Amino acid sequence: MPFTAALVTLCGLADAVYLTVHHYTATPVPCSIIEGCETVLTSRYAEFAGVPTAAFGALAYFVAFSLAILAAYGNRTMWKLFGVQVVVMAAVTCWLIYLQAFVIGAFCQFCLISALITFILLLLFVISKVTRAQI
Amino acid sequence: MKEEKKKSGGVPVAIIVGVLILVVVGGFLFYRSSATPSPNVAKPANASPQPQATISTQNAPPGATPPNAIGPTTASVIIEEFADFQCGSCGAAYPALRDIIKAYSGNPNFRFIYRNFPLQMHDKAYDAAVAAEAAGLQNPAKFWLMEDQLFTNQASWSVNPNYRDVFVEYGQKIGLDVDKFKADMSGMQAKTRVDRDMSRGKAFAISSTPTVIVNNKIVPYAEVTLAGMKRIIDAEMQKSTSTQQAPPQANSNSGNK
Repeated sequence: MPFTAALVTLCGLADAVYLTVHHYTATPVPCSIIEGCETVLTSRYAEFAGVPTAAFGALAYFVAFSLAILAAYGNRTMWKLFGVQVVVMAAVTCWLIYLQAFVIGAFCQFCLISALITFILLLLFVISKVTRAQI
Repeated sequence: MKEEKKKSGGVPVAIIVGVLILVVVGGFLFYRSSATPSPNVAKPANASPQPQATISTQNAPPGATPPNAIGPTTASVIIEEFADFQCGSCGAAYPALRDIIKAYSGNPNFRFIYRNFPLQMHDKAYDAAVAAEAAGLQNPAKFWLMEDQLFTNQASWSVNPNYRDVFVEYGQKIGLDVDKFKADMSGMQAKTRVDRDMSRGKAFAISSTPTVIVNNKIVPYAEVTLAGMKRIIDAEMQKSTSTQQAPPQANSNSGNK
């Protein structure tokens, strides 16, 4: 299970790195009638303390990946820490979805992919606990 | 045995370090390939304007009548902007367009028309457009003052659940009759004007905001800068002077200003 989780975190890491690079390089584009990505990525919530929100995501995915890999090689404590981290990540994700839905009023597909990945990680952890899968 | 354990303990660390290196190198390469020159960098004065898509104004509804406009209807260069007060890109383009209006204000060949085109995905954009129109109902000049308030303070009201109260504050600030402003924000007249502008935008198949049209040609967003717009307007003015053509008609409405 931790090995699967590590592979999933790599998807999240790639998504978050893409968004972080996009934050620094994107040329301004108009607000599209069908997409809300630019609205989200140019909103005041795209940064915290001058750091792109996506960069926090990339860091979180990297830490989650490290914990999952260490757990995959037999360190049970790291799997517990992984569980704590994905719970925190899921809580932050819920808040970010709330911001998109009710504050910014637009959704970004790359942010939603990241949210899906976080929930998959949480699900993997819960399944491992429920089934008491060997790590 | 001890050596084996030590060896397996090194594997995950090696994987983690390997992924870290991959992320840093991959991210850097992606950054380098994605980084493009800023569109705000001034181009040489003799650079030719970007190719522009042409739109047909035939059979298009006229939009709000009279429109929110600056400059005479007989102007040879007519700029029509379709914008959304909650759109970040419209807010970003606003200072350049405001400076363009200032720069060409009084020029008989220059006319600027603002059209409301609130996008559905922006939950407060329609009400903001109605507020601007409600201000304009008291005095056409107040529309532009409210437009300034809405774009300048976009980051503030667009995340405020009590944004209607904020609009009233802006109304007070620009010297509106607040009671009439509140009534007009709920009335049909301002809404109808917004709806008419939207119908015109839909007829033009506007798909993003801001969409700036100069003499029936859509200006690429990257060109909606002070330098870019000046270049396009001057080229159009020169064209009309040299060919002595009849001025194109954005619509048949008379201006507010």
